[in-house]
Amino acid sequence: MIEYPSILLSLITLPLLGILVIMVLPQNQINLVKTVSLTTSLIIFIISILLWLNFDLSTPKYQFVEHFFSVPYSNINVFIGIDGISLFFVLLTTFLIPICLLASWDSIKFSIKEYNIAFLFMGSLLICVFTVLDVLFFYIFFEAILIPMFLVIGIWGSRERKIRASYQFFLYTLIGSVLMLLAILTMYAQTGTTDVQVLTTITFSQDLQFFFWLAFFASLAVKVPMLPVHLWLPEAHSEAPTAGSVILAGILLKMGGYGFLRFSIPMFSHASIYFTPLIYTLSALAVMYTSLTTLRQVDMKRLIAYSSVAHMGFVTIGMFTMNLQGIEGSLFLMLSHGIVSSALFLCVGVIYDRHKTRIINYYSGLTVSMPIYSIIFLFFILANMGLPGTSSFVSEFMVLTGAFKSNVFITILIATGGVFGAAYSLWLYNRTAFGNIRLTYINNFQDIDRREFFVFLPCIIIVLIMGIYPEIFLSIMHVSVQHLIEQIY
Amino acid sequence: MNFFNLFENDFLVILPEFFICIAIIFLLSYGVVYSTSTFYNYPILSVNISWLGFFVLLISFFLCLNNCLSSMIIFNNLLIVDSFIIFIKSTILLSSIFCILISLNYLEYNKINSFEYTLLILLSILGMLLLVSSYDLLSLYLAIELMSLSFYILATYKRKSEFSGEAGLKYFILGAFSSGLLLFGSSILYGFTGMTNFEDIAKLLLGIGVIYDTLSYIGIFIGILFISIALLFKVAAAPFHMWSPDVYEGSPTPITAFFSVVPKIALLALYVRLFFYAFYEFIPLWQELFLICAIISMIWGSIAALSQKRIKRLMAYSGIVNVGYMLVGIASGTITSIVGLLMYLIVYITMTIGFFSFILGTQHYKTNYLNVFLIDLKNIGKTQTILGISIFIILFSMVGLPPLAGFFGKMYLFFSVMNSNLYLAAILGVLSSVVSAFYYIRMIKIIYFENSKSFTLYKQMDKNNSYVLTISILLLIIFMISSDALLLNCHRCAMTLTI
Repeated sequence: MIEYPSILLSLITLPLLGILVIMVLPQNQINLVKTVSLTTSLIIFIISILLWLNFDLSTPKYQFVEHFFSVPYSNINVFIGIDGISLFFVLLTTFLIPICLLASWDSIKFSIKEYNIAFLFMGSLLICVFTVLDVLFFYIFFEAILIPMFLVIGIWGSRERKIRASYQFFLYTLIGSVLMLLAILTMYAQTGTTDVQVLTTITFSQDLQFFFWLAFFASLAVKVPMLPVHLWLPEAHSEAPTAGSVILAGILLKMGGYGFLRFSIPMFSHASIYFTPLIYTLSALAVMYTSLTTLRQVDMKRLIAYSSVAHMGFVTIGMFTMNLQGIEGSLFLMLSHGIVSSALFLCVGVIYDRHKTRIINYYSGLTVSMPIYSIIFLFFILANMGLPGTSSFVSEFMVLTGAFKSNVFITILIATGGVFGAAYSLWLYNRTAFGNIRLTYINNFQDIDRREFFVFLPCIIIVLIMGIYPEIFLSIMHVSVQHLIEQIY
Repeated sequence: MNFFNLFENDFLVILPEFFICIAIIFLLSYGVVYSTSTFYNYPILSVNISWLGFFVLLISFFLCLNNCLSSMIIFNNLLIVDSFIIFIKSTILLSSIFCILISLNYLEYNKINSFEYTLLILLSILGMLLLVSSYDLLSLYLAIELMSLSFYILATYKRKSEFSGEAGLKYFILGAFSSGLLLFGSSILYGFTGMTNFEDIAKLLLGIGVIYDTLSYIGIFIGILFISIALLFKVAAAPFHMWSPDVYEGSPTPITAFFSVVPKIALLALYVRLFFYAFYEFIPLWQELFLICAIISMIWGSIAALSQKRIKRLMAYSGIVNVGYMLVGIASGTITSIVGLLMYLIVYITMTIGFFSFILGTQHYKTNYLNVFLIDLKNIGKTQTILGISIFIILFSMVGLPPLAGFFGKMYLFFSVMNSNLYLAAILGVLSSVVSAFYYIRMIKIIYFENSKSFTLYKQMDKNNSYVLTISILLLIIFMISSDALLLNCHRCAMTLTI
């Protein structure tokens, strides 16, 4: 194996270099700015594929480990590294950032430089979140994402309720996360280290584990989002610009799941097993309730946002089944949902760019006026439903298998919830694409152009590959997930 | 005490204060003689004396840093100087230098022509420097009175505004009341112990827990209780905070900046000296008292600030919340908590000075009006980009969001609090910081997201204000990247308290 120097460090610093280059470009050459940012993000994506190619899938140890920095006068040395669980999150991030930048090529009309800077900065922070092997700095980067996301929703969002949406997003996330800060500080005070590789070998006492697990739960449950604290997600999604929704649904939600897998389950195993009924209840309720709520929505983005909550319900159930199929299913579902949901938001973005409305009532008969678009839309709707041949079928099937081993009643509930998933997905497509065109509302048509087609094409290819031959992806996860399960028991 | 001892060590150690004292006398006579001279046509000397005061403080800052002796107890056990005290003194002098710089523009445009402004500030700084060095209940009281009397007059400095007069009167009445409480507590303490020196009291109170139910213990308990409550009045901790929103709002804005920053440094250093050294045996008393006051401060301050529409009142309530955090730091009672407290204090004063220099620097073009209401801040982010970015850094730092500097201050503070097992205070502290995040975010919203059709035209920020704002932003960014220099310094100072 060739020794590549510091792939992860380059993944973190290249977006920052791109930001520096963009900052000095003149304001009147906007196309140059957009091209530079797109090129930077594509270079980062190609470098991250090197991670996948050189990944050793026979060991659960962290790979590509480098020393990031150290906080002096304290025992905090921050390392970055990936293992089978975090590899695909890094790849998902670097895959989605160029898609976001490409998707917002024409739709953002003001402050384009600042927009691209915000997205590249978020890319860098996200890679830090998924690779840093230190609890305190995971928290710092986890929270630092709030600032650019808050600005993206507030400044470039659609007009009506964006302030309320950004407030809700910010404050919901902040409340949970400050409790996580206290837990991390107590962990540091008790053990004297914040290194993940050391902390996973330590068993805390039972009461302390309960407090830690609950504090982490408060924060990660808001991020995932789980049922009582999911209200920020529909608001944030419907008010964010298209690319903002893509990043939000695609990656920010996965930070919660990643937090559960990396911190809650290995470090606080006893508490995780104790609180599993809580997670099961909330997730099953989430799946059923949000799927039913979806049927009532009139705003397309809100509909897809609620369906995101339902999918993340599946994810959390899969994670807490504590067996191989369940956890791999939840990981795979996170990846698949990252691509499918992002593509659905991009679809809604396409027609929003043209007609400036997201209300379902105005749209009908899109197969007549935009045939290529409606094929792509159909593909992703079927993927959202869990059609066999797409990635979400594989993942949902694995989650159901894992959950069946753990608790039969929950499996029956969420399988029923999967049926509702089919209901709302098909109904959305039925109302918007089939039927006759409503000329009283919409009478200018244009099918998708080449740029938008190339935004969707990678997503389609990846979803199909993941659905037909998932072993390419799953083979990397086997050893790490098995190691995780062994750590629990 | 030998008379000649006085000139051997004592004046050397007390040189900064001595220099300020002589400088005040000289500046006063200079001001009186020249501002009433007909030869120069009754010149207005306020800015002139402000610059001279700036240089006085700068020189005394350098004198303070270059002191040649280590820990000394001087003036017949009335004052003490050690490296903790020197750190606090240099912080006080540096922040008051910044406060004078940002007030120069205000003095010109609001036609404050009397030169005594700077002299009163210098007098109050003299009082504060003596306060942090005090080692005896008598010198404590005298220094607090010197500091507070100058503050009362400074609060009413704008003679044409009745707001200002009301502020000064409220401050005077409550300040005099709390000084009375302080005297009462000191005299009870003297009555039951027979001594006023901190070192003697510390040695007397060692192991006093054994005589728990005797009259002496109860007497000393009541004395310490009154002293603590009087000092809590001075620092505006809830439930003794009622004066602070009105005083902060009514005083002229540079005086509000001065009030928010500098007395808190002096009083918190005094708390450390008093409660960690003299009254440490009574820790069950003052730890619970400070915890209750801190929790009430944090909750009350953050909730009350939600409905404020004026900037200065908002900063007053935010000051109450921050004092709450610092009181939790003191209540923890360990050396790590002093380190956390000092870190948080330095970050807090940097952010507050930056914020006030922003407020004082943005003057409307025609009317020379400073922003009073929150709505006045609208759309600054769109019209003036770099100013918007600066205030953005300051406000997000105040929220305590990583990776900015305010987060690191809070992290060190809450780390020490969790270490001392004060879980309820830590949880309420972080929850109140979320509530207070709301009004800071509201300011960001008004600056960046407000959809109003009118943009205010601002004058270009004057040179001194822009220097201060730049220095505070630079310090915040440096804290963000590496806080080890500050941490090491705070740790060294905290360790000297153990000697």
